[in-house]
Amino acid sequence: MPLLERKFNIKANDFVNAGEVSLEVQGILKKIGFPAALIRRVSICAYEAEMNVVMHGGDGEMTLSLEPERIDLECWDGGQGIADIEKALTPGYSTAKPEHQEMGFGAGMGLPNIKKNADTLDLESGEGKGTRLIMHFKAGDVEG
Amino acid sequence: MRVKPDVKTEPAHYVEIDESLCNGCVLCMKACPMKAIRLRDGIARIEGVCIDCMECARVCPRGAIRGVSAGNFDLEDRSEYVVCPTTVLYSQFGEEFLPNDILLGLRKMGFPYVHDQSYTAEIYDYAVELYIREQRRRVDPLFPLISAVCPAVLQIILYRFPSLLPHIPPLATPREIVTRESKRRLAVRHGRPEADIKLLHISPCPAIMIREEDPRSGDRAVGISTIHDELFKAMQEVEEDRVFHYSGGIGLGWGLSGGEIAGLDVKAIAVSGVHETIRYLERAEMGLLDHIEFLECRICNEGCVGGPFTVADRYQTKQLVRRFVRMFGEERRIKRKYVQKLYAEGWFEAGREIQPIAQEHPVPTVADRIEQQRRVECILKKLPMKHCGMCGSPDCRTFAEDVVAEKARLENCAYLRERNPKEISCARS
Repeated sequence: MPLLERKFNIKANDFVNAGEVSLEVQGILKKIGFPAALIRRVSICAYEAEMNVVMHGGDGEMTLSLEPERIDLECWDGGQGIADIEKALTPGYSTAKPEHQEMGFGAGMGLPNIKKNADTLDLESGEGKGTRLIMHFKAGDVEG
Repeated sequence: MRVKPDVKTEPAHYVEIDESLCNGCVLCMKACPMKAIRLRDGIARIEGVCIDCMECARVCPRGAIRGVSAGNFDLEDRSEYVVCPTTVLYSQFGEEFLPNDILLGLRKMGFPYVHDQSYTAEIYDYAVELYIREQRRRVDPLFPLISAVCPAVLQIILYRFPSLLPHIPPLATPREIVTRESKRRLAVRHGRPEADIKLLHISPCPAIMIREEDPRSGDRAVGISTIHDELFKAMQEVEEDRVFHYSGGIGLGWGLSGGEIAGLDVKAIAVSGVHETIRYLERAEMGLLDHIEFLECRICNEGCVGGPFTVADRYQTKQLVRRFVRMFGEERRIKRKYVQKLYAEGWFEAGREIQPIAQEHPVPTVADRIEQQRRVECILKKLPMKHCGMCGSPDCRTFAEDVVAEKARLENCAYLRERNPKEISCARS
């Protein structure tokens, strides 16, 4: 069991509150005092994952698990799923709806950005099967 | 060169709560963006870091909260001072009075030396543009650059967003530039040693004033509201016809939100109001604003024209400033070559680097801090989430944090009192 586990609900198509979950994640990490660069990487991943759920997912859930030497983010949604995972990880590849792109989202950088910023990324998905992202971050030697 | 401390060295606060007027309502506590206010024995007290944004004073229905001073205008000899009025002063008297009339009015009040800050603002503005261009040429530019012209914004960054400190251009603030420039000019023209020259700032902003009052140099600061009436009378009696106002519209527009970026030929956005400012700094910290080159933030809604020591209505003021901008042309009236030369010489460099404030955690290890946070989350689940403030903390989350930090007791919660708070255990099983 991690020292701290916190679950957040994410609602599909709720662009008004989109980003709130990642802000909360960021807030918790700041309160604990992880290094700023690490917090930035985790919050970028949290944000991109959250936006993916809002845009493509059904409703979903993000779980933040904390231990002194590791941070884990798991983001699950029951939405449409990803047909071709390899393609989805290609920068610029996007299946976002035009109305989302008009709002400035869906540039096809979400998953590549997560891959860049997380220490490890596991992605389980399939068409119609929803999506589960498991992101892991090393947080070692931050005593003090 | 003497450098003014632009950062408060200790988290002292500059607002006063008059206990005889405070009736212990929750409004100021809830308005505080730093969650620095608590109710103790039914009286509001400032216990955390205050950034001088004055949100508490603005919402207090009983006038119990004031800035420590709106300035002492009791000067022995006015002729000793160089008056440096904020550009916001120009827009406090309606459309009959142009910026130059206001500077002449100050002379009529007995101040022989007046300094047009809008002109200095244009010089500074161009220096910022030069810095942004320099940043663009770097392989790994650090965007967005964030303006720290508003002292309350600087204070927020220091305490809540220290990771954004490197985003602040390492230039002196416009206030430092005004000090340098006006003292230098007077020294050259009248042959007086710079150390003997004292400045009188006229400001809409308590946060700026407390940084400009300087017992060592004798520099003073007063709020606009303090001198407004006397200046208005003096302006009726002006006979002199000389020009002291040199700037174009860019400098005159500096008091508005967006004024700092109006002249910048870069990708920039302007945000005003304390809550929006925090929102955008959070976004910047998450890397969501990296495509923007410059971020202007002002703690007061609509910018400095909404400052606590202004007299005229901020929205009417805004229209008047816009009128001035049109009248004097939407451009800087500076000698670019000259500013480029000063810039290359390092004239704009900050007198001292802004250092992050070392925040010592009362709890030393990360594991213990995670455990503390777990208890916060656990207590939070038991709280009513009504954020009523009756416990003395501004909202349920802050209350949970206060309980864990042993600054509050669970029994303080009116909702939990009905149950037995002792039954609520968030100790690790």
